[in-house]
Order: sequence, then C-alpha cells, then structure tokens
Amino acid sequence: MSTGQSKRKILNAYHVIFLTQSTMIGVGVLSLPQQLSSLGYSQAFMPLLFGVIASITLYPMIWINSKYPNENLFRINEILLGKWIGKFVNLLFIIQFIFFIAGVINSYMHLIQSTALQEKTITGPVLCFLLLLVYIVTGGIKLIARFSMLIFFITFGMVYFTHWAFEKGDITHFLPLFNFYSANDFYDALKKGYLSILGYELIMFYFPYIVDQKKAYRHSLIGIWISILLCFITTAISVMYFSEWQLRNVEFSILNLFKAGEFSFLERIDIFGITLWVFLIFSTVATYLWCAKKGVDSLISKSSNVHLYILAAIIFFVVKLPSSRAFQETLFTSANYVAYMLIFWPIILILVHLLRKKKQVQL
Amino acid sequence: MSRKVLCLMLFLQLFLLVACSSHKEKNVPLEDVGMVGIIAFDYIDKDNMKLTVAIPQYSPDAQRSTQTFSVVTELVSNGVVEIEKLSDKKIVFNQLRVVLFNEEFTREGNIRKVIEHLYRRAEVGNNVLIAVVKEKGEDMLKYNYPDKPNINFYLNDLLQPSINTAFNPNTTIRDFMYTITNPVYDPVIPFIDKNSDKIEMKGVALFKGDQMLELIDPKEALVIQAIQGRKNLAPLSMRMEQGHGVEKLLIDLVQNDVQIKSNKSMTSPKLTLSFEIKGTLVEYKGERSHVFTTGKLADLEKDVSKELEQDIKKFLYKLNELQVDPSGLSEYFRMYYRGKWSREKKREILDKLEIDVHVKTSIISTGTLK
Amino acid sequence: MEEKEQQVIDNIKQQTQDIDDVVFKKMATDAGVVTIIYFSSLIEKMTLQTMVFIPLTNHINQIFQVSETIDLQDMDVILQKLNAGQSLLFFHKPALLQVIDTYSAPTRSITNTETESTVIGPQDAFTESLETNISLLKRRIQNPMLKNEILTVGTETNIKIAMLYMDNIVNKENLDLLRKRIDEIQYPFFSDISELKQLIEDNPLSPFPQYYMSVRPDSVSQYLVDGRIVLIMDNSQAAIVCPTSFFEMFVSVEDYYNRWTTASLLRMLRFFGFFLTIMITPMYISALTFQTEILPYELLLNLQESRSKVPFPPLIEVLFIELIIEILREAGSRMPAKVGQTIGIVGGIVIGTAAVEAGLLSNILIVLVATSALLSFLPPIFLLSNTSRFVRYIFILSAGVFGLYGLMLAFSWLFAHLLRLNSLGTPYMTPIVPRNARDLFDSIIRFPTKYLNAKKGISRAQKK
Repeated sequence: MSTGQSKRKILNAYHVIFLTQSTMIGVGVLSLPQQLSSLGYSQAFMPLLFGVIASITLYPMIWINSKYPNENLFRINEILLGKWIGKFVNLLFIIQFIFFIAGVINSYMHLIQSTALQEKTITGPVLCFLLLLVYIVTGGIKLIARFSMLIFFITFGMVYFTHWAFEKGDITHFLPLFNFYSANDFYDALKKGYLSILGYELIMFYFPYIVDQKKAYRHSLIGIWISILLCFITTAISVMYFSEWQLRNVEFSILNLFKAGEFSFLERIDIFGITLWVFLIFSTVATYLWCAKKGVDSLISKSSNVHLYILAAIIFFVVKLPSSRAFQETLFTSANYVAYMLIFWPIILILVHLLRKKKQVQL
Repeated sequence: MSRKVLCLMLFLQLFLLVACSSHKEKNVPLEDVGMVGIIAFDYIDKDNMKLTVAIPQYSPDAQRSTQTFSVVTELVSNGVVEIEKLSDKKIVFNQLRVVLFNEEFTREGNIRKVIEHLYRRAEVGNNVLIAVVKEKGEDMLKYNYPDKPNINFYLNDLLQPSINTAFNPNTTIRDFMYTITNPVYDPVIPFIDKNSDKIEMKGVALFKGDQMLELIDPKEALVIQAIQGRKNLAPLSMRMEQGHGVEKLLIDLVQNDVQIKSNKSMTSPKLTLSFEIKGTLVEYKGERSHVFTTGKLADLEKDVSKELEQDIKKFLYKLNELQVDPSGLSEYFRMYYRGKWSREKKREILDKLEIDVHVKTSIISTGTLK
Repeated sequence: MEEKEQQVIDNIKQQTQDIDDVVFKKMATDAGVVTIIYFSSLIEKMTLQTMVFIPLTNHINQIFQVSETIDLQDMDVILQKLNAGQSLLFFHKPALLQVIDTYSAPTRSITNTETESTVIGPQDAFTESLETNISLLKRRIQNPMLKNEILTVGTETNIKIAMLYMDNIVNKENLDLLRKRIDEIQYPFFSDISELKQLIEDNPLSPFPQYYMSVRPDSVSQYLVDGRIVLIMDNSQAAIVCPTSFFEMFVSVEDYYNRWTTASLLRMLRFFGFFLTIMITPMYISALTFQTEILPYELLLNLQESRSKVPFPPLIEVLFIELIIEILREAGSRMPAKVGQTIGIVGGIVIGTAAVEAGLLSNILIVLVATSALLSFLPPIFLLSNTSRFVRYIFILSAGVFGLYGLMLAFSWLFAHLLRLNSLGTPYMTPIVPRNARDLFDSIIRFPTKYLNAKKGISRAQKK
C-alpha cells in the first residue's frame, strides 16, 4: 500500500484524531498515578496541565510542517540543516524510537508475565507480538489509523470497569486542592508523568499524508484532549480509591482499579484489562515503528520493506538483552529523555527556517 | 509477497509453540491444582507463625469435603512450599477467599507484613475477606461442622455483606491496606469465634496502628458503619429510659443518611454529625404500647432520637479517648489542612475533638395491624 | 449435388467427426434442397419442429426473415454456432448458409431454495439457466436502465456470464475494474461462479469472502437497485454481488421483510454469534489452563470435577472434539440420505454421551462446542460460516499457547486483517471504519424502513 514514496493524501480528519489519540495511550498510562505520586492526592489536575503543555508544544510542530507540506520531519531536517547534520539527527531519532518501542514492549511483557502468564518466559509472547506488529505496519499509515479507530471503540468500554472503584472511593480526597509542598515534587511528577502521554509529536512524520492540512492542528488537538480526558478520569478515580501510600507503591494502578470489580459470571476483571491493553500497545508501537521505518528509508534514500524486518529484529534483540532489570530501566528511561528533545526540536527548526528566509530575502 | 511470508511465519510459529509446549512447559492443568480457599495464620512467637490452608475437594468420592494442611514457618512463601511437599497438588492462591488471623497474632505480631505480602501477589484478588479468630485458626478450620459440609463456603458466606450483620465492616485485603496506610483511618476487622458447633461473629476488632487494641460489640460497631455512610443497617434493638420507664423496642432500619460537617479549625475542632434514620417499628415492650393505636409516634421518634444521640456520642468519646478513629472523622479536617497529614495530627485532632450529634428518626410504618 | 456444396458439407462432417449427436438432414423445400445441421443434444424436438421444419415446408420466406447469414468458409463461427445450439440451414442452390437460434436444452424449473430459505417473502430461486436467471431479475426491475452485458470466460469452454447493473446508479470505475479483471482471466473451466469469484476478488489469499453470493433473486435485485454490479454465470445457480462489506455478510433478505425490531435483534444475534463462535472454546481453554482466577469459585469446582476424569490437557481435548464435529459435519453432507439419519444418531448420541461416560471428554465442553457449532451456522452466507470454522482453529491454537493474551493477539490479527481487505476498491469494514453515518442505519441494527432511503456508500453510486 503506502510503503513507497507516494505522497497521496490519504488521512482524513478522523484518522488524524484517532492516530494522535491512540499513540498517546500506551503502557505509560497504566502507571500514571504512580508516577505522579510525589504530589499525593493533588495529582488529579496534572493530566490537564499536561494537556495544556501538549497543546502549546503542538503548535510549532504544525507550523514548521505546514511550511513544507510534502515533507516529513526527516526530510525537513536534511533540507534545513544540510545533508550530514540532518542525517545524523535523523539517526538519533530513529535510535530513540527503537529504544522507546523496546521499552514499551519490555514493560508490557513483564506485566503480562507477572500477572497473566506466570509460567512462561517472554520470548514467545514478544515474538508473536512483533510478527503481528510487522503485519500491521506493512499495511501503511492508513491501516494503522483505521486500526486505532476500531480499537478506540472497543477498548473505550473499559472505562465502565472503573465504576466499582468509583463507588468504593472517597470523593473527599480531592481537597485540599493543589496541596503540594515543594517545587521539587512538582518537577519530579512533571518529569515522570509527561513521558506517559508522549506520542502526539509523531504528527510531524505523517503530516504529508494528511488531506486537510489547514485543519490538522484542530484535529490533533481533539485527539490529544480525548486522551487527556481519559487520563484525567482514571487518575481522578485512582486518587479517590487509593491512599497516598498505595499511590506511591502500587505499580500499574489502573489495573488495580479493575481488580475492585466483578461480575457474577466473571471475576478478576483486571486480567481482561491487561490483555485488552495489548490493542492499545499495538496502536502506539505501530505508529512509532512506521516512523522509524520512514526514517531508515530517508537515511538510505531507498524505501523497501526489508528495513521493517531489520528494525523488528533489532527491537527483538534489544528487548531480550541479557542484562539486569535495573540496567534496562535506566537505559529505557534515558532514551526517553531524548524524546523531550524531539518535542522542542521544531522550535530550533523554526529558528533555522526563519534565518534562512532572511538570508534568502537579503540575497 | 511480504504478507504471505508473514502469515506463513506466524502460523508456523504457532504450530511449533503448541507442539513443543506440551513437553517443555509444566503447565499444570486444572485438576491437579489445589485451590486454597482459606488461609489461617496463628501466632507462635516473634518470628514464627503457623500456617493452615483449607482446600476444597471436588471429587464426590472424597471422604472429607476439605483438605487442611498446617506448617510452622517464618515466611509465608516458605510455608507454601512446605505445604506443597505435603500435598500431591500444586498450591495456588487464585481463588483465595478468606484470610484468618488469631487474636494473639493481631496483638503481638505484625499482621501488616503478612497482608502486604498477599497484596503484593498478583494472583490474589483484592476482594479477599479478613477476619480475626479468638482461639486458633487451625482449630477452626479443622473442626468438623455437622451441618455445614464445607468450611470454605461457610466462612465465605458468613463474612459476606448481609443485612443482619450490617455492623460487619467486610474488610478485604484492599480495605485493610487502604486504612492502614492512610493516616486518616484506623483499621477494623470482624471478629469471629467458634460457638459449640457454629461460628459466630462476636464483634469487631479495633486497631491502633498495627496492633489490635480491643474488641467492640456489634451495637457500637454499627455506629462506625453508620458514620461511613452505609445505607442498610441492621435491625436495632434499644433499651430506653426517657421518662416513661424502661422501654425495649426493635426498629428495623431501612435507610440511613448521614451528613458530616466540620468547623475546619485545627485548634478547636468541632464536628457536627447529622443522621437521618428511617425505620419500621417491629416490636415494642413498655409503657407506651398504645402508641401503635393512637399514632403518637412523633413522641416516640423524638425519644428514640435522643437515645441514639446519647449512645453515639458516648461511643465516639470512648473512641477519642482511645485515640483511634475507625470511621475516618479526621478526614473532614484533612480536607482543609494544607501540608502533609500524619497519624500524629490525627491523634491531636482526636484529643481536642468535640462532637455534636443530631439524629432524626422517622418511623415509617408499624406493621400491618393498625 | 454441386462440388462446392458437397465440399462444405464434407468439411463440416470432418470437423464434427467424433461428435455423434450431430444430425445432417436433407429436406426438399420450395427453395431447393436444404441440409439442416444441428446437435441433437442441445435442441428439443418440438422447437426444431416449430422453428425449422414447419416454416421450411410451409412459409419459407419466414425462414429468411428469422435467420442470419454466415460465411460458408468461416469454420470457427460455424462450429461455435453449432455448439451454441443453433441450427444451420444450408441451401444448396444459392449456396447460402443460414443459422437459426434453436437452443432449448432442458433446464430445471424454478423451485425454492434449500440453502437460503426464508419464512416470508418470495420463495423463488435462481436456476442453472442464464436466461431464466436474467428473466427473474428483469421482471423485478422493469427499467430500461438495467443494463446486461454478456461476456465469455473459460478458454476451453466458452461459458457465458452476464454482468448486470443500473446504468444511472452504478459507479463506472467499478464497472471498468471488474471488466478488466474478467478479461484478464485465463482459466480453462468454471464449474460454478464461486470459482470465478475467487479469481476476481481483491485479496484472493484471505479466508474471508469479499463478494456477496446469493441464490435469491429478491436480495440480488435489491442490491442491483442500490448500485452494485451483479454477475451471473450460465450453469451456475448463484449470483455474485460486488462490492460488499463485512457487515452485509450478516444480512439476510428476510430482515427487510420483518419489522425493524425483530430484524435488529436477529442481526445482532448473528453478528455477535459470529464472534461468540470463535471465542467460546478458546475462552474455555484459557480459563482452564492459564487464567483460572477469572471464573467464579463454584463454577470452577464443577469444572474441576468434570475434568478430573479426562486424561488430556484442555487444548488437546478441544481440538479432539472440534475435529469430531467437523467429521460429523462433512460426513453428514456427503452421505446419501438413506444412511444419513442413522449415522447422525450414532455420531451425536453415541460419540457424545458415551465419550463423556468413558471419561474421554468433559460434558461441559461438549455443551460449549455444540453451542459454538450451532452459532457458526448463523451467518446467512454459507461462505462466511465456513470461514468461521477456519478462524476458530487459529483462535484455539493461540489460546492454547498463550491463554487470554493469545486470544487478544488473535483478535488483533483478525481486526488488522479485516481492515486491510477491500471489496472492489471499497474498504471491507465500512460503514464502521470509514464511517458513513447513513449506512449505519442498516448495518447491525436496522432502522425502520422509512429511514432507509439513501443509497449506501458502499457502491459509491453516482450522485444524481
């Protein structure tokens, strides 16, 4: 399908909305209350703050992309910064994507292994996951967008599963508002929590495929706010349900919320929650892998599906690194900080672009 | 081309995994698994505890409907391994229902550690009930109850929420972890005891910090539940002396609404509790038995309210003296306090707390006779 | 007899040498001697009498008005006409070759269908004759805009197919694409239109059918008016409709005859039944092998008791009984009717009950598998229920390997696959994923008929 250099405009408004939305909800959301726990009970408003920051940082991205409506960020790097610096920066981004994907898969597989499949190693699940991932990504960005749309409607029902926790919780936990004691706590929560909702910056890579580029900002904003609202609801219910100690120590707080409920014919809803989450992981990781593949395509200036298989194999080996858990954690977290660079990168590009424009005018 | 290869690889891999898995993986099928229904911890000394598990037998040919095993151990997981040596099945906690501690354990030992361990295990659900046993949990599990064939179902049903045991806080593992880690609350756990051939719920064990403080009887425990907003309370039997001699009556409480307001001050805290209770007057013994016929219920209602107010206030002051707060009254001060809340602050508040109780009783019916 | 005429007749005799049902009849008429050549297997005697013999002897001018002239030397055309059941009239004196269409091979009369029967509504079904089928459609759509193109396929057999469409509604690009695909086929023989279908589909490797197939003229004519293209083949009972969507596979034409509440209920039953049938037995496997905590306690004790006698792990047990049911199904459809009933009882009662008593299978599982087998027959299109039989094995294997996680992986494969499929260019999963609000009125839930006016987006029909 669209694995070639075809720049047909194939993503309409709904595709953009749901692509943005599903890339943001990955595995980080599961432990969002725990990452924000340095703020204690007043963390409930943090997702809203993140949403505001995301909306603000989205604007430069759309701006720089609209100046080059037919190029993705890799090509823009090369155009603005020259071939070699551009390629180097692209390589950094590709490596960051690879580590990000490996980190997501790693933490999700450990979660599955500790709760749902206690007697197996993670090789088998990871292999099957990667095979299916490659199958989805070969369908192109349109398939990923459609997949995200379908998944959204199916997994949206999981919000219903939190109503038992809502009933058992204390709404008095929300007061007093903004009760955090030091700026350090706030900064800590911001740093850890923001990583969970990253994903909207990938619009810089699929921008050339969007049909209605003028309204792209509005559409991706809708996608961002849908995700933020979902995060907000789950964080709020976690605040109601847990004590501060539990917020700090319980990993995967969202799944613990599911544990509160049961049907008469089915108990332990959290197992369903965990396994349904694989759809959301697919939709997140597929977009990243597609961007990584586009990056490799533009590095080598040739596009082929072999790049995809090589990338998948690299990811498999990174996940299966025979190293200690602590080392893996630090590796993935530090790779994630490069993601922050990706968010502020458009601003640098804009400066370069304006400088060039001025130079051209002067000439 | 690529899609064909991918699909082929997927199916091939699936087949291989299925074929190889039956040899290498030791996936224990359902019938060889011993699902523990109840686990009991008895105190031996500072380091050791006695672990007893009860596993229901599904086979209709089995002599007894439950299998029990006991070991002495220091660590919970170590104990499980020891038990596996005694049983022919693999022990899993997937269907754990009830956890029992004996009274000595709760007073001398550290039950928080044990419950935290169970909370940490992913296979144990959050809705596992906890109870404190007077004597030994092992005796309770091993005893042969004549008309209750399976101890697993018996205990589980006993501890589940039901209308007649509304004073029962139905503490689950999650509730316990929540109340013990939340500086606003103090945990409460139901207290059961063996009474000849039956198990009886004697009351509620009150905790201060991590140890059990004392046992309170059902009537007082009902107050805790009422304050926490439980709607359906148990039938309330009262003995009043409000100027008409000794009167005894039983009100079937249908609905309970509670509103709590605090004066938001940390230096001279004052709480106002307003209860609105609706009930049916089931039986009355005393002077004013004509109340059934003349409809002078309003006076009776006022007296009942006054009696209830006195009782509740007495109980709450008793709690304040003991410096325990099972119903979370200090939450209403934490809401307006900026800064970190701690147990010390809670006890501070409880020391100085003044409580004002208003009860409004409405008797909505008195049965079918006029 | 002149040399030239004898030569022509000898030529034809040579070409039809081993075809023993060829008839050469010489008759004397007012216009001289006429040799009538035809294949007796394709022509009924009465037709020959009324169309050829009687006019030849009585009003020979009628023959010249009714028949067509063909070139004496063009042997290919002569043979083709003969094979199509036409009679050649060779007039000796002016050396003229006329041909009359007398094709009247016996055909089946219009009966009701056994595979797609409905309780209410018209009961007629297509037969194997192309003319009958076209007439069944044309009498329902009496509109000159109903176009009907005849094409031939099959390099060895030259079978006729008809492509019908409404010229004012259909999308011309779809037409061109379909025509191009049919022209490109190089296949010797088609015994049924479903073989043709597999060659002109967008994704022939997928287990899912991408065109709608039906033997009922009422449903097919409904699709015609909606702007779809219908293909009918001679000697084949079914008609295929393209393009179509996944959700239409669960639509039976009886839904339009029932009221909207019943129709919606039945459609939802079919749709969720499809997913249930592929999910029930895998859920059993994962709940018993991997994630035992999802079932309530009492149910688990029951299951433990019923499984205690079975020596196999749940996966093998399920595969075993699924295979038994497949065998029963296949044997039941191939068996002659007389023996069928006895063997059916043997299969059902003996294998089912006795196996449980012997301890080979657990009784709860038999209930589940029987239910899922029944559910798999719900979709009105037979091809889709066959697909669900296949897809179920994929789910069983993934559940057997990874439990609930494998089940969800299988689901994501299913969704990704369905989303990739196209049916003559339209995405397979409309109206859910390219969303089309008007079409949603008639997908899983059917709104009352007065709201169902608009043409569906699936056919990408022309705008008025």
